[in-house]
This record gives sequence, C-alpha cells and structure tokens, in this order.
Amino acid sequence: MSLARLKLAQEGPVVYANLRGDIDMSNADELRSELSAMTPNSALSLILDLTEVDYLDSAGIHLVHRLREDLRASGQRLQLVIPEASMINATLRLAGLDWRDDTAETADAARAALEHS
Amino acid sequence: MSALPTRELGAGQVALELDDSITAPAEQLRDLVRMSDPALSELEFDRLLDELLVRVKGLLGVDTAAILLYDHPTNELVARAAKGIEEEVEQGVRIPVGRGFAGRIAKERVAIFIADVDHADIMNPILRQKGIRSLIGVPLIVEGDLIGVLHVGSLVPRTFDLRDLSVLELAAARAAPAIERGRLLLALEREHRNAVMMQRSLLPGKLGRIAGVTLSARYLPARDEVGGDWYDMIELRGGQVGIAIGDVVGHGLAAATLMGQLRTALRAYAIDGNSPSRTLELVDRFAVNLDQQAMATAIYAVVDSDEGVARIASAGHLPPVLLSEEGEPRVLEIPLAPPLGAFRYKQCPEAEVQISSGETLLLYTDGLIERRGVPLPHSIRELVHAVRGARTPEDACLMAMDRLVPQRGPGDDIAVIALQIDPVDDVLELELRAYPTTLARVRQTLGRWLRGHDVEREIAAEITIAVSEACANAVEHAYGPGRGMFTVRAEQIGATIHVSVMDQGQWRAPRGEHRGRGLKIMRAAMDSLDVRSNERGTEILMTRGVNRR
Repeated sequence: MSLARLKLAQEGPVVYANLRGDIDMSNADELRSELSAMTPNSALSLILDLTEVDYLDSAGIHLVHRLREDLRASGQRLQLVIPEASMINATLRLAGLDWRDDTAETADAARAALEHS
Repeated sequence: MSALPTRELGAGQVALELDDSITAPAEQLRDLVRMSDPALSELEFDRLLDELLVRVKGLLGVDTAAILLYDHPTNELVARAAKGIEEEVEQGVRIPVGRGFAGRIAKERVAIFIADVDHADIMNPILRQKGIRSLIGVPLIVEGDLIGVLHVGSLVPRTFDLRDLSVLELAAARAAPAIERGRLLLALEREHRNAVMMQRSLLPGKLGRIAGVTLSARYLPARDEVGGDWYDMIELRGGQVGIAIGDVVGHGLAAATLMGQLRTALRAYAIDGNSPSRTLELVDRFAVNLDQQAMATAIYAVVDSDEGVARIASAGHLPPVLLSEEGEPRVLEIPLAPPLGAFRYKQCPEAEVQISSGETLLLYTDGLIERRGVPLPHSIRELVHAVRGARTPEDACLMAMDRLVPQRGPGDDIAVIALQIDPVDDVLELELRAYPTTLARVRQTLGRWLRGHDVEREIAAEITIAVSEACANAVEHAYGPGRGMFTVRAEQIGATIHVSVMDQGQWRAPRGEHRGRGLKIMRAAMDSLDVRSNERGTEILMTRGVNRR
C-alpha cells in the first residue's frame, strides 16, 4: 500500500535495484538517498529496474538524472530497465527525453549490456 | 482574658494545649461549611475557602487569615487561600513541613501562638512585610491525616485567649473535612477534565477531507466518566483510505491513556502499509507487551474505492453495518480475532467486502447500542432500525446518535465513524491539503473520474500526469511551512476535459531545469494551458480533447 517499494540486491560488482509503485515529489528525494546509500563505492554500476513503476513524474525524472550524475561523479554507471510498454514512457515522451542510450528492455538485457561495455 | 495552657517550643513559639471542655460559639460556625453541590468546581472550592476565612477573621477580629494545604508529594504546605495577606497565595508560598511557623504546626500537629513576630522563627517573609505582630495557627486534620494549616494574624501585638483558640479550632474541625472532600472532588473533576481533554486532543477534531470518499464521525464521552473509545481515519498511499474504531476496556484517565497508545500504534502500523489483519496482529503484539494491563476491541478497515472493496479485520469488535445506496442496512459478518492484548495472536482473519459508491460503511462502539439487560443481537437490531434510510455518512451518524443515545447522556462513551465512496460526479471538485502525499490521491480520484467519463486509457494517463504536475506545483511553490489548501476541478464539456488547479499562493515561475520540466510535461500532455495569477492565488487552467489527436 506504500506508494513505492524498493528492493536491492548485490550481484557481484553490480547493484540491482527494483522499484515498484509511484514515484512523485512525495518520495523521490527519499528514494534517491536510499539508492545512493545502498550503492557502495566498490560497485561498478547500478541497475535501476523501473519495469513495475506505475507512475513517474518530473520529480522522478529529476531523481534519475541526479542519480546518474552522482554515479558518474564516482566513476559508476547507471543502467535503466524500462520496457517498451511501460507507462513511464509516456512521461518521458511528454518531457521530450530520450534515455535509450542507457536503457534496456529487461533486467537480463541490462546485465548483458553492462558485461559487454 | 484567660491565660492559655502552653508548652514551650522555643524560638518565640508556644504550643497550645487544648481543653475539650471549652465551649465555643458553634452556632456562629454552624453554616460555615456548605458543600451540597457534588459537582464542585475549582471556583466553588476557592469560594468555600474564602468564605471560611472571612468568617474566621470576623469572629476573631483579626487582620489576616490564611489556609495552606498539605502537598503530599513534596511534603510542603502550599498557600491556597488568604485574607489580608493575599500575596501568600499569589506568590504561591510553599513551606516545608517542620520549618517556620506553619511548618511547625503541621509537623507537631498542635496549635501555635506567636506573641511577637519579630522574635520568632518565621520562614515566610510576607508575614513580616505585612507588619503582622502576633500569629496563631492550628492544623487541619481529617481522620488522623494532616491536610493543612489555618492561621490568623494581628497587625497589633495581641494575646489570643482560649475563646479565640476554640473558635479557630472549631473552624478548623468543621472546615477540614469539607476542604478534604472538596479537594478530592476537585482532583476527580480534574482527572475527568484531563481525561476528556486528552480524549478530545487525541481524536481527529475534524475529519480531514479525503478525495473520493466522504467521512463522518462522532465521539461522545459518558455522562460520568471518560472511557477509552476512539476512531481514526488514515489516508494511505496509493489512494486507499483506512478507518479504525476501538474500545479500551475500562474507564477514566487510565483507559484514555491506553486508548492514546493503541490508537497511535494502530495508526503507525497502518500508515506503514500493513494489511488490516497484519495491522491488528502488530497492535495486539504491542498491547501484549505493554507494562500495564491492556485490553481492547477494534476494527481496522481499508477501503479501496477504485476496486470497490473494503478489507476488514476485527479484534472482537461489534460487527460493522453496511448501508446500501438506498439506505438499507445490513450487518456484516466479519470473522473475529480475540480482543487486542488478551494474548498474542497467531493470525488475525480478514474479510473482503464489496462496497460500491453510494454505500456507507458504519463502525461504532458498544456505548452506542448496549443497554443493561438487553441482549446484544437485539441491540444490534435496534441500531439497524435506527440507521435505516441513511444515505450519507453524516445521516448515518446523525440518525444513530439521535435515536440511540439516551437524553441524559450515554452511560458509556460512544465512538462512531462512517465512510462512503463518492459516486463519480459530472463535475469533479476536490479540496485538498497542500502536502506532497496528496498527489497520489489526486491521481487516483482523477483516474476514477476519467474512467467514469469513458476517457481512453492513454489520454486519461496523460491528463493525470499533467494534473499531478500542476498539483505538485501548487504544493511545492504555493505555500510556506504553514501549508494550505488547493482545489482541483475537472469537467467534461463536449469532447473536451477542462481542468483547473487553484491555490491561494503566489505563482512563481518554475526555477531550474527540474521544475521547468513539469511545465513542459503539462504543456505537452494538454491541448491548452493557461496560468492565471493574482494576489489571491494562482490558477492553472488546462484542456484536453478526449478524441485521439
């Protein structure tokens, strides 16, 4: 019933984070600090799986941007998982954003993309 | 003037030894104390003491008179009433038992006479400052317990005789039980008042408006004492609404305190997103682990207006009543867990009940229906009869209270809460608190409204995004720390959805890339967007055609 739920798993050098629910101004900051805190310096990259996110607004977009910057600053990489049919693609389209460079269709595709980079 | 029998106490003080045979002007004191009104108020208690002092002063022809009451926790005397030396009370003079004039009277439990204040061991500087030359005081004793000291003083040097002493003794003897009784009543009254105050402060005074549902509630304390009934309303994430009702076993301040703890615990577990059954399991664990004996019945229900479902868990509580849109009541059979705090649950059952818009879910405590000698099923039937025809939560509360509460007030306290899922109106009008957590509710309610107007899913999603962004703007920019309200209005005119988001704050152009993005999203999602701002507030007007672009 909570607006969003975050699950994290360490997979070797990769941290896998699964978000579900709604991301808006009421929880975006909280989620970003949690994601940053849970990604240790030793991790090479973070996979943020947004497959089960039902709603994402401008605060959620801001979260992803800030997270990407934070990770880049410490030499880490952000890999997103957003399926084609995801509801949040509507938000991205309306905001005129293109995240395809670091977005995969599935979690496995994201893992593969990281391995081959 | 007869000399008083005395024994030396040193430091200019003498203890007076009383002779029972001395006759006193009892008739003058006969009506000294009148305490007929059982509902003694603080004011009346003070008036009683004042009257007592005025009479004693008049009878003895003295200039000052004062009553100090014994405060058990500190072992001190506290000035409570005074004539001629009002400063004693105003300054809240406290005298440790055993010290000074009054303190010695209290400790020795004897009358003490001071002929010359200048040469005596006196703690309270006010007595000297007022120019008092001679003092005489007696202890106030009830059934062997010291309750205070009564003393009088003269501005001219004076010797008190046996008649004076007996008047004072008699006044003390007559007044002491009344003072004690008054004090007890006052303490009880204070406890009652505190308990009622606490109860009031713990219950949501006015149910906040939650978009998509209508709520009504009542709390009525028992005519004699408070109990431990409570109701609560919890706005949950994801647009669901929780309502709770509970009844702590017992009465008075203890029950009210416990109610506060259980209500808070339930609220905390509920806000965390736990299911009704899980919430009650956790509250039960909380109650079992409390230091004091705690037992309560409660219901927690989560209503999902989108799904049209209420999930209900009950810890030994009376069954909820569901009223149809036409006001036809039906008692809901909810599987019961044992009362909270009785023992640790293994598992609390949960029922799922269909509730469509226009139907009213009513929860109540036993104070509403229980009558001595009337079997419970019969009482519940009376409730069903009382609320038949109620079509709104307010009607349900009103009819239940009006028809079931005895005229002289309830014997037990009463809590009632009723909820209805709002029907999808032609025009959606929401008045909301400017908190970030409100946005999810707006999306949920708007989503429901748009579906109700057959707006295609993708278009509805885009409108929802735009409106949520506009609301975020109202929440983020329109208000300072005080927060305020904002309104959302949506209407379909022809093939166009018109939405207005209005607040009472000053429009600030979105700053930075982040906020600018919100505006961009709104523009992209809608066909038109207009921001109107003046000193009274800001309104964002948006339209979107429902046919595919």
